[in-house]
Amino acid sequence: MLVYTIRRVLAMIPLLVAVATVTFFLMHTVEGGPFDADKPLSEATRKNLEAKYGLDDSLPVQYVNYIKNLARLDLGISFANDREVRDIIGERMQVSLQLGLAAFAFATVFGLALGMFSSLNQNGMFDYLGVFLATAGAALPSFVLAPLLTIAFAVKFGWFNVLSSDYDLWQWFRLDFSNWRQMVLPTVALGFLPMAYVARITRASMLEVLRQDYIRTARAKGLRERRVVFRHAMKNAMIPVLTVLGPIFAGLITGSFIIETAFVIPGLGREFVRAVLIRDYGLLMGVMVFYAGVIAMMNLVVDLAYAVADPRIRY
Amino acid sequence: MAANSTVAQPFDFLREDLQTKQRGLWEQAFRRLVRNRLAIVSLCVLLLITVTALLADFIPAVAHHPADAQDYGSLEKSPSADFWLGTDGLGRDLWARLLEGTLFSLKIGILAQVVILSIGITVGMLAALGGRWSDTLLMWFTDLAYAFPDLLAIILFRQILLGREWPVIGDGNPQIPGFPGVLLVTILAISFVSWVTVSRLVRGQMLSIKETDYVTAARAIGASPLRVVAVHMLPNTLGAIIVAVTFGIPLAIFAEAALGFIGLGVPPPAASLGTLISDGLDHIQTNPIEILWPSITVATLMLCFTFLGDGLRDALDPRTRK
Repeated sequence: MLVYTIRRVLAMIPLLVAVATVTFFLMHTVEGGPFDADKPLSEATRKNLEAKYGLDDSLPVQYVNYIKNLARLDLGISFANDREVRDIIGERMQVSLQLGLAAFAFATVFGLALGMFSSLNQNGMFDYLGVFLATAGAALPSFVLAPLLTIAFAVKFGWFNVLSSDYDLWQWFRLDFSNWRQMVLPTVALGFLPMAYVARITRASMLEVLRQDYIRTARAKGLRERRVVFRHAMKNAMIPVLTVLGPIFAGLITGSFIIETAFVIPGLGREFVRAVLIRDYGLLMGVMVFYAGVIAMMNLVVDLAYAVADPRIRY
Repeated sequence: MAANSTVAQPFDFLREDLQTKQRGLWEQAFRRLVRNRLAIVSLCVLLLITVTALLADFIPAVAHHPADAQDYGSLEKSPSADFWLGTDGLGRDLWARLLEGTLFSLKIGILAQVVILSIGITVGMLAALGGRWSDTLLMWFTDLAYAFPDLLAIILFRQILLGREWPVIGDGNPQIPGFPGVLLVTILAISFVSWVTVSRLVRGQMLSIKETDYVTAARAIGASPLRVVAVHMLPNTLGAIIVAVTFGIPLAIFAEAALGFIGLGVPPPAASLGTLISDGLDHIQTNPIEILWPSITVATLMLCFTFLGDGLRDALDPRTRK
């Protein structure tokens, strides 16, 4: 397993280099650069700026330098605000991660609960409610849900805040949840679709498992229903759920830009969109490689968790 | 016809089996689809929406007002007999805007599938039938494509394609009436990111069909490779492709709407469902009903395409049939 893990981590390197390469050359086909503004810069200023950031080198030289820096985990410089991309990602990621973790927890907890209730109550009231919520969730993208939630709960009832900017990942680890009022709506809007997905998979997987012979055996030998469900059924039913949690987390992190735009949250996704608009390709490439890294890591985590959860799988 | 009463006759099951076998594969699938009420209702709703949006494009009376006519006397009006869904911040009729936006989103969803299919099927076929090297290359390419975050890659592609002079389509501003360049650019951006799923699907199907007895039989009686692929293999991948397309349309609509929502949609005065939602968000305090219409439309479209896709999958793929 250790060997497998190391091999997989090493295999990520060429993939990330490929992502960086594709992004690099794609960005350099774009006409215009980060120093194009409504008011054009003087020729000398532009020359100086380009020299400062190495943009006057030939393309191959720029590329080699970029990859070299990447090997040192240096993601380059954001031309628009003259800062290390690494620092910007670190700063903005805190915000995105706080939101992403909250949405992930929401999606997992409620999705599992909904799916379990549905499956234990097949074709009953709870089941129809669960299936209805899971179906509605699949049809309500975050950008549809966000305004609706805002109208209902922030404008009409005033239960929650929107548009405040108190984001600090570490405060939650200090058990300080004082910003919960502003977090509820973005969390629900972002987490609703994955929640529906988790609920659907949990329900299907539980129904499958509950039909198995060993569950009948467990019941036949007189175990309490609670023990049958949580000990015997749930353990096996969780395996398919486990495999989608990784992609869901990666999707929450990379897809948060919609919610960040809707609620004006200063996260990494919004920074990426801004970078696209002002052609800040230093930042853009850095964020793209970073996101690709996140996705690859999550896939690895899922595969490893899979092997831990299911002893039949060996690497 | 007493024999057909409720009393079960011996060999009834066999007779039924024989009768089913006389129908063709597609007819069977069609019958299974028709029996799925949810899928049929979804199909009808989708047809209704499409026809209404198309009619409005050709017959101005359906839209009641021109989509870009601004009436400064009636800004942000509630629904009335004149403005069926109300007006927006510039006094434009929301019903006309909604129809225009829906048509645009449908165009994106459907046309993107055309591009995705033509790239996906070609590459998938080449990978499955072109030998080891082309297969390795394609699988490597798919891994690479999956390594990118989808929506962000679409945004990146869109920005790269936009804002420059292209042959025929121009620079993204409307050049061909009813077919702005930005439509094509968005379609291409979505397609470049999404074709890998189809090509993987086609490759997998082709690889398994290649090993079946009927392909061996066709080869044995001397059918040319082209004929084997075109007559025996491609039609058998069609079921899976149709399902993939049905699930692909709402994904493309979703992607475009997400782009429109964050301000990367069609330039005004054109409208898409995404830009309409984004407009509605701007007026959420003063006229909250404005955002409701495009939101409901997006939700309905996605829901109906999902139900239809589920129905088609159950009808076309005998393995998952209950």
